[in-house]
Amino acid sequence: MTSYRDRARGCLLGLAAGDALGAPAENLTPAEIRRRWGRLTEIEGGGTDDTEYAVFAASLLRRHGHGLTAALVAAAYRDEIIPRVTGPMRGAGFSELGTIEALRRGLEPPLTGRVHSHGWSDGLAMRAAPYGIFCPGDPAEAARLVEQDGLVSGSGEGILGGRAVAGAVAAAMTGAAPEDVVRAALSVVPDDSWTARAVRRARDVVTRAPQGGTTGPAGEDGLVEALHEAVVVRHYPWTDLAPEAVALALAAFLAGGGEVEAAVTFAVSLGRDADTIGAIAGAVSGALRGEAGVPARWAARIAPVTGTCLPVVAGRHVLDAADELADGLADELVEGR
Amino acid sequence: MSGDRIRGDRIRGAVIGLAVGDAAGWPASRHRAALHAPWSRRLHRELDAFAEEHRVTTLPVPFALNQPTAPLAAGPSDDAEWLAWTLLTADRPRAAAFRELAGQDVRARISVRTALDNLARGVEPPASGHDNPHHFDDAAAVRAVAFGVLGRDPEDDALVTNAGDGVLGARAMAAAVAAAVAGGDVTRAVAAALEHLPADTAIGHNARAALSAAERAGDAFAAVPALDAALLDHVYSYGVGAAQTVPAALALAVAAGGDLTRAVPAAACLAALADSAPALTGALTGACGGFEAIPEGWTASARTLAGCCLPHLAGQDLIDLTEERA
Repeated sequence: MTSYRDRARGCLLGLAAGDALGAPAENLTPAEIRRRWGRLTEIEGGGTDDTEYAVFAASLLRRHGHGLTAALVAAAYRDEIIPRVTGPMRGAGFSELGTIEALRRGLEPPLTGRVHSHGWSDGLAMRAAPYGIFCPGDPAEAARLVEQDGLVSGSGEGILGGRAVAGAVAAAMTGAAPEDVVRAALSVVPDDSWTARAVRRARDVVTRAPQGGTTGPAGEDGLVEALHEAVVVRHYPWTDLAPEAVALALAAFLAGGGEVEAAVTFAVSLGRDADTIGAIAGAVSGALRGEAGVPARWAARIAPVTGTCLPVVAGRHVLDAADELADGLADELVEGR
Repeated sequence: MSGDRIRGDRIRGAVIGLAVGDAAGWPASRHRAALHAPWSRRLHRELDAFAEEHRVTTLPVPFALNQPTAPLAAGPSDDAEWLAWTLLTADRPRAAAFRELAGQDVRARISVRTALDNLARGVEPPASGHDNPHHFDDAAAVRAVAFGVLGRDPEDDALVTNAGDGVLGARAMAAAVAAAVAGGDVTRAVAAALEHLPADTAIGHNARAALSAAERAGDAFAAVPALDAALLDHVYSYGVGAAQTVPAALALAVAAGGDLTRAVPAAACLAALADSAPALTGALTGACGGFEAIPEGWTASARTLAGCCLPHLAGQDLIDLTEERA
């Protein structure tokens, strides 16, 4: 039986690998990705903000556990992130930048996540995996905790995207079937939401695809096109929309049968916010398959994070963050929670 | 003036006031240049790149090389056209009215473009406005001026293209315009708007912050830097967020005592918001002060639509249209 520790390590390794693999494909069209790489299967460089913010989220959980609140998250931004922002904040998304402006203006959550125009950003979804690790088999609690983080920097569908990913990882941590993992994601967001509508549409596209449709090049191209048609917003110049990224990532997870390499390589072939889509698909499938499910050649490329985006986490390795989260779970078992 | 005459004057004031504000903002000439051939607009973009590359501060403005020059004259653009379209279609079920635009060569805000895609995909209101990256913009707030002058609820219309602050902004604008058309002064109009803007929303928070900042500054022009500091998202903005433009309009209308000739120029000085804050400010103060109070030169320049966003409205006279429909 795969242990929580093993799944936690697989989850964050998968997240880091998906982030790094997808980074050069971000904002490219699927056709351009095919032209450059055929299928993008080898990690070229380091990860991005997705991995660094996930490491930061893990540290919040390690310190505050189930007692984490939006006020504590805001305090961490003020104490650990803002003082180190001396110039441009590299690699951060508009939602984090807007949040820091709001905190500097003295606002408190939830207004900090509402006053900028990027409440639906996938910035929470990209760092939601640690919350799922921390709540194995309890998607509702994972969703409740990630929402505390999300209230600081997002609103509306951005928070729902984080809830969906945390819920999916919480289910994957118990070895649920891939379809049940996606059901868990849907169980923690309202049916009447953009996130739920997008996830259902994307899931239906994958379910309706002919068997073996993702293995042949022609079938796979058709699936990519159908997923874009189903959930991609065409007339907006940025790609970091949580409902879209979460739906595409969970679709890739299903299309890859929950296997890390199949899910992540398909995820990054979709383009758009490819690093985040890859990171989410990698986190969910990594939690399901454990550390051994992440290709060894990818794991070998994952180094400690550089702190380019978040100096406070520089030098931390995702595996250390995973082990600490697993230690926290073991402590809880001892305490009989 | 009699009650009916005052009412008619204020209705015309709201509509023409919006068009005057629309024309006063610098983006109007960019929108109107959409009437020029694509190759001409491409030359403009190349000149922009040239200025960047050669480090010259001579910024290109829209020009007409072998093109008609009329679009480059001062005049109304996107917001006046969408307001006119709303007056013309106000009796139609709203999703149906938008569906009729499918396949036409229209230009619109991101919220509207995405809503049209959603409708085509079978995503109906309110999801068409909600599953929308720009659900917060002020496209519906601009259209709400039509519902304000007609004394109708703007919500069904707003929900087609917007959600959250975008819908609240529409309700606030319609309420303010309706209060002014009914004879209220600017204080009464702004109070009517605030009733629709809860303090725990971005638009409600910003509206109150903007009103305080403008009050401290003393008058509309003096309030410009304070509004910039209190409202503008310098990290990222398309400039048409309802949570910024509607509060700016409310605050400047009050700071100017309801006088369009003081409020609109100040709104046009908020460069990042100059696409629509002057138009919304013009609608509010036009409704408060009436049509007769708007300088004749501005009325003459702003009354004829160019068709830069809705080509079938080219040449439409906004005053005639208002008298027919409102």
